[in-house]
Amino acid sequence: MLTFVARRGLGMLISTLLVISITFILMQLIPGDPAAVMLGSNATPEQIEQLRASWGLDRPMLVQFYRYFVNFLHGNLGQSLFYRRPVLQIIGERAETSTFLGVMALLVVVGVGIPAGVISSLKQDSWTDNALLLVALAGASIPSFWLGLMLMVVVAGKWHLLPSSGFTSVFNTGNLTNLKNLILPALSLGFVNAALVARTARSSMLDVLRADYITTARAKGLAERVVIVKHALRNASIPIITVISFTFASLVSGAVVTENVFALPGVGSLIVQSVLKRDYPVIQGIMMVVAILYVLVNFATDLTYASLDPRIRYH
Amino acid sequence: MTTESSLQVRASESTTLRRAFDATLKFVTKRKTTLSAVVILVALLFIAAFGPTISPYGANKLNLSDRLQGPNITHLLGTDNFGRDILSRALSGTRITLLLGLSISGFALLLGLPIGMLCGFYDRFGIVVMRVVDAMMAFPAIILALSLMAIFGKPGVLNVIIAVGIVWAPRMVRVVYSSTLSLRENTYVEAARALGMPSLRILVRHISINLLSPVIVQATFTFAFSIMEVAALNFLGVGIPPYIASWGGMMNEGRTYIIRAPWIILFPGLFLATAVLSFNLLGDALRDRLDPKLRRIM
Repeated sequence: MLTFVARRGLGMLISTLLVISITFILMQLIPGDPAAVMLGSNATPEQIEQLRASWGLDRPMLVQFYRYFVNFLHGNLGQSLFYRRPVLQIIGERAETSTFLGVMALLVVVGVGIPAGVISSLKQDSWTDNALLLVALAGASIPSFWLGLMLMVVVAGKWHLLPSSGFTSVFNTGNLTNLKNLILPALSLGFVNAALVARTARSSMLDVLRADYITTARAKGLAERVVIVKHALRNASIPIITVISFTFASLVSGAVVTENVFALPGVGSLIVQSVLKRDYPVIQGIMMVVAILYVLVNFATDLTYASLDPRIRYH
Repeated sequence: MTTESSLQVRASESTTLRRAFDATLKFVTKRKTTLSAVVILVALLFIAAFGPTISPYGANKLNLSDRLQGPNITHLLGTDNFGRDILSRALSGTRITLLLGLSISGFALLLGLPIGMLCGFYDRFGIVVMRVVDAMMAFPAIILALSLMAIFGKPGVLNVIIAVGIVWAPRMVRVVYSSTLSLRENTYVEAARALGMPSLRILVRHISINLLSPVIVQATFTFAFSIMEVAALNFLGVGIPPYIASWGGMMNEGRTYIIRAPWIILFPGLFLATAVLSFNLLGDALRDRLDPKLRRIM
């Protein structure tokens, strides 16, 4: 197990390094001079030159990359051009909303997707199965922001059941009921991804349910619930976990638009605002933080596989 | 060539065509879902081709006295806050959506096919490049597309094609790479090598032809995902310029009036979901028909 962790850990470090390099290279492609952008149109050439020198933009590219990398290791992702504050600090302030939204959406994904898939597989080709498959198929094709807008019209606009937008920090106010602002966004974001998990859970369960050990378990007289949960679901879980780890990227993508729809102060709406304001250091910071999180999630998924299925460690 | 043999050639050509036609017909009609997907796609193509001719009003025709009308006889899908006809705008958006989907899949293919093939064929090259490709895939699609749009500096059709194309190219590389890895183990590749065929020629003559199935399937899925992503970019106001009617742009414009006039958002979304659904269904059907083993990598 230790060599497995070491090998995957090394792979993770290489990926992180590549992610940092890619963001650096992409930001070199921006037309024009970042110093000139920051100082605005009234700046004199001397002022621009001074800022370039203080940022090290007049140094060779490799030196710039080295500085950038060292700064990254010190947790310094630069200053926002618009807010004039450290990028990491701004992202940190927005992280709470996005994290709550992500976790709640993931609860929807797991809580709806897996039971739907399992029920579908247990009642293969029945009316329930077909109906669930149809919903899953439609769910995978609906844009989450559109679903969010429609939920907003019906649930918030017509029925007045839940708030339609905004979110106030739970940590700052100590008020857990603020989370109800995230129910509609989490539902719209989660449902679309639950569709994919349901399809995978169904096909994976169908494969497992035909296995001999399931027949044996039933023949031993085990309760059906035990057969399904302990014998079938555990063995069907690897593909399901893969898909759930895929949904991380898809949840992040969806969250960018969903946060915008529901006016939530998260990292997703921050990147959209930064793109509109051309606040490149913030864009760069978010790209890096999200990609590194993705690499970490993949690493965690690999470790989960290895603990669920010991054979994987020896591959 | 004698008349008789040329007739034979023509006859065999027509049987081949006939067989291909029969096989396509059988594929399309075998499953109800495939049939409905194909019917929807044909309808969308028709709308894309003749949209401006069949639509009741101009896509950008303002009519302020008719603003924010619900669906009725004169405006079947209602009007927006400028009195523009939603149906006409949605029909007009079909053409740009399909054109963008096609261009983006083409772009991803143009980058993905050669890179994936070379990576799959030359191990040393593959190990290095595939690491970079995997790192590219660590950026969630919309974040990468948004950042690229910010780097390009302004909204525009070509910029959207390149930005979303770059997002989906690595996924195409992955599919081509894994297919090439298994194709190169085939006996016919070994035979071609033994006969002294240069590697590049093997790639072009033997490998590329056999990559057709996975590439077609992946291009169909790329199409579905990319039109969804383009809609998201347009919805966020960083996609194509607002004077071109697009489904995502229409939904963005309708946000202010969402409670008063939800149809401005409802219908473009339905058009988008239908298009994405039909491409997904077609992709599923093509995958199962052309190569069921692909299920594992797609």
